[in-house]
Formats: sequence, structure tokens, C-alpha cells
Amino acid sequence: MHGLEAILYREAKIRFTNFAWLFWDAFYPLGNLLVFGVGINHALGSPLHDPNISYNDFFLGGVLAMATFGIAANTAWGFFLDRDNGIFLEMLTYPLSRAQYLGGKVSFNILLAIVQAAITVGMSALLLGVKVKPALLPLLLGGVILGTAGWFFFFAIFALRIRRNDIFNTVTSMFYFFFLFASSMFYPLDPLPRWFRSAALCNPVTWEVDLLRYGSIGLGTEHLVTEALALVGFTLVAFYLGVRTLNRASS
Amino acid sequence: MVYPARRRQQPVRAVNGMSFAVCRGEIFGLLGPNGAGKTTILKILTTLLTPTSGRAEVLGHDVVAEPLAVRRAISIVLQETAVELFLSVRDNLVTYGRFHGLDHAEAQRRAGQTIEKFFLSEYAGQKAQDLSGGLRRRVQVAKMFIVPTPVMFLDEFSTGMDPILKRTVMGYLREEAASGRTIVLTTQVMSEAEELCDDILIMHRGRSIAQGDLNKLKLLARDVYDVTLTFETIPPGLGGELEALKPQRLQIDHGTVEMTLKAQEREVLETIAGLAARARLLHVEVSGASLEDIFVELTKET
Repeated sequence: MHGLEAILYREAKIRFTNFAWLFWDAFYPLGNLLVFGVGINHALGSPLHDPNISYNDFFLGGVLAMATFGIAANTAWGFFLDRDNGIFLEMLTYPLSRAQYLGGKVSFNILLAIVQAAITVGMSALLLGVKVKPALLPLLLGGVILGTAGWFFFFAIFALRIRRNDIFNTVTSMFYFFFLFASSMFYPLDPLPRWFRSAALCNPVTWEVDLLRYGSIGLGTEHLVTEALALVGFTLVAFYLGVRTLNRASS
Repeated sequence: MVYPARRRQQPVRAVNGMSFAVCRGEIFGLLGPNGAGKTTILKILTTLLTPTSGRAEVLGHDVVAEPLAVRRAISIVLQETAVELFLSVRDNLVTYGRFHGLDHAEAQRRAGQTIEKFFLSEYAGQKAQDLSGGLRRRVQVAKMFIVPTPVMFLDEFSTGMDPILKRTVMGYLREEAASGRTIVLTTQVMSEAEELCDDILIMHRGRSIAQGDLNKLKLLARDVYDVTLTFETIPPGLGGELEALKPQRLQIDHGTVEMTLKAQEREVLETIAGLAARARLLHVEVSGASLEDIFVELTKET
């Protein structure tokens, strides 16, 4: 058990002794909502042409998904740095199993994502009047946990395989570009061209955003159950590949 | 141990047919030129690599079947300077202690002691990313002294250390071995191995080519001598004459000649006597082969 505790201790120590990171981790999604959300809300209005759903309401689910994606990308960068300076390899000789290592990392990410989500949801209701549905919050919590874990394992696969810094940065930037923009994060999919909509519907970010959007303001899609199941599948596959990659990463 | 083929490359047989045992409380040196397979062996023994065949045990625990039991018994200094860049020196040490099962108070106490022992007090609050390479190395080695694991592995631990610290750490390592900890180290610095190791294994191209204590290894290079001669003035043409003796190593610097000769003792003395007859000799030093001579001799012949 101490292996898992030690990983959590290490991750917390790194975060809490670096003020800039702590601030970023806690307020990054809220910042997005305040700047981007408020801007679009005033400039373009409701994306659904429904006076009861503002852009801030619509964007809350997106911003929470973006945060889980961002946490995973940052952790992947941390993996990369750890491997680059040798501490990753050294940690694999510590008295903890590979499962405890990954379990500790993903648990810390999930805790962080839950704190972020709580701050963002609470403040968005308070400051922007987002109409959060309290009864659906357990579903929102489940979506945040699932999404964070899925993206963590997904990014870990690449962080543990790619050896060169420039390639890693390029891949991460491409992921940001494709996964976030080709999804329902920033806009509804219905008015988009068919090919774009098809691509977005195959994107795990869309599945997560739709789940979080329903969990926050109760706005669902006809594919919601399928999307939720697909997100579970994505997380399980990413977990399997992530563990396999970690077991091979020591060579 | 075979590394699988990578794109456009053949599989690499990094270690082949190696067998050795290390006694408790011993300092064991693995020596070999670059690519000999030393680090691969350390990686197998520290559970970082799974051997493709064969068997390895640490304190009776099989490295493949019981990796966790092995990891509980070991601490390692890797070739890379492995430190937590975003943590302070103190937090680096405390975190390492926590990973090895110490509670927070005990980890703090031992970190404090280790910081003093490694002269790190003035850097204790600084983040590792702000330290020089040598200081990071010091933190990395200091971690080994936080937790008294029965076995220590050190892969070229002295890289980047200044001579004074190196000497101090070597003293600490001897103390640890005397208290019963087993130390397995690899190094390219022969004098370090000569001074520290109770038992030495020389590897070349993945195989063991010699093993024993220093005296036993010296028997393998019985007819190799290090000769140092200091002349008042170097006689003209001496360089060419010495080259004709085909020394293994020859260096002429101002009035001093340093060379390694492979010859019988009588021939070496006759050569020196001949040179002394030609020019005034201020200083003569003849010694048996050093570990470096033995190493060069053995790895050259195989």
C-alpha cells in the first residue's frame, strides 16, 4: 500500500511546491470559461438559438472535458521529462508494482480533475449563472473520472514510447488540434458538414463532452448511452495499452 | 539476454553465458569497455529488464518471479542523473524514503542526516532543476544512504563528482560494506575499482573474461610493468628507441618518460640500466601491472 501512497505523496509534493502549477491546475478550466465562454456568449449568443441555454451553459461540459484532457497531456509531459532525466527508470526499481505506479498517477490526476470540476461548476453557477442540475452531478462526477482516466492512459502510451522531445511536442499539439476542435466541445455538431460531424462522432472527446454536458445542465443527445459506453470502452483499451507500454518501457 | 531487433537492425545479444555470485558485505565490480553488457546486467538484477533466458536472483529472490521482493531489497544509482527536478533537495530525499516505506517523520529525520553527510545543507531548499550536474549527482547518490537496503547497485556512480567528494563517497561505501550491505558497481575508472572492489569481473562483448580479486587478476598480466623514468635531460633519439621496444603505452613529457612494457622482469631492468648509462636519471619507478593495464590487456586479446 505504501507504494500507492508514495506516488500520491510525490505527485502532490511536486504540485503543491510549485505555485504556478497549482494555480493552473485549480483555475485553468474556470479561466477558459470566463474568458472564452463569456466572449463567445456575448458576441454570438446561444449556440442552440435557445434563450434558455447560454453559451456558458453549453460550454461548461466542454471546458470540463478540456480540463481532463489537459491534465492528462500535462502528466504525459511529466512522464516524458521523468524518462528523459532518468527518474522514471529509477522509480521502476522502487518497491512498488507497475500497477501501483500507474494507479497512483491516475488517482492523483482524478483527484485533481474532481477539484477542478468542483471549482469550475461551483464558480460558473455563482459568477455566470450557469443552470447546473444538482441531481445529475453524480453522473458528471463519473464522466470526469472516466474521461480523466481514459486520457491519462491514452497519453501515457505516447509519452512512454516516443523518445524525442520534438516529436513528442508535435504529437501532443496535433492531438490538441484534432481532438478538441473536431468534437462537440466548442459548438453543436448538427449544423456542421456531414464529414465533419462523422469525424467528430468518432472522437472520444465528443463522447466525453456530451456526457459531461448532460451531467452538468441536462442537455443530452440521442447517442448519449452509446457515447457513454464507447467512452468506457476507450478507457479500457487505453488502460490495457498503457499498462502494456509501461511494462515494455524499461528497456 | 537478447535485445529484440529494431528497424533495419539485427537483434543484439548483449549478455551471453554469464554466471557469477556476490557474497554478502562484498563490493563487487563489473568492469568492461563500452557496450560490454554491464548496464544490461544491472538492469536485469534491478528488475528493469527481463532476461530472454537464464536466471538471476537477488538475496534468493528470482528477479522475474519475485520482482517486488527484489525491489524491496535494493537501491540503485543509474548512469543517468536521476533526480526529481521539480522537488527540493530535501524533498528528493524524503520522497525516496517514503517510497521505501519510511513514515514522514522518519524520512525527514534521515533526510536531515544525509544532507549533512553529503554537504548539501546550503542547497537543501533549492529545487534540483536549479542545481549543477555535479550537485544533482550528489543528491542521487545521497538517496542510497537514506534507506539501508541490503543491496546497492551503482552504475558509474562517480561521474560528475569532484575528487574530494568522490573520495568521501568511496569511504562511505566501504563503511556500508563493512556494516553488511552488498555493493555491486560498474565503472570505467579503473583506479576506483582497484581501490574499492573486493571482487572484480571483467566483461567483454557480453561475456565474462576474467574474475577474481585484484591480486588474482594481476597474475593474468604478470609480465606487464609500468615504468616511470625522470631524466635530467632526455637523450637525443630516445623516443624512437623506446618505440622500438613496442610499449603498450608511451608518454614523454619534458624530462619524464612513462611507459607500460610487456616483457620479463629481467628485460625491463636491463632496458632501464641501458638508459641509465646514456643519461643521468633523477628518478626511477617500476611497478607491476595496474588494473587498467590488465583491463587493456584482456579486452584487447579477446
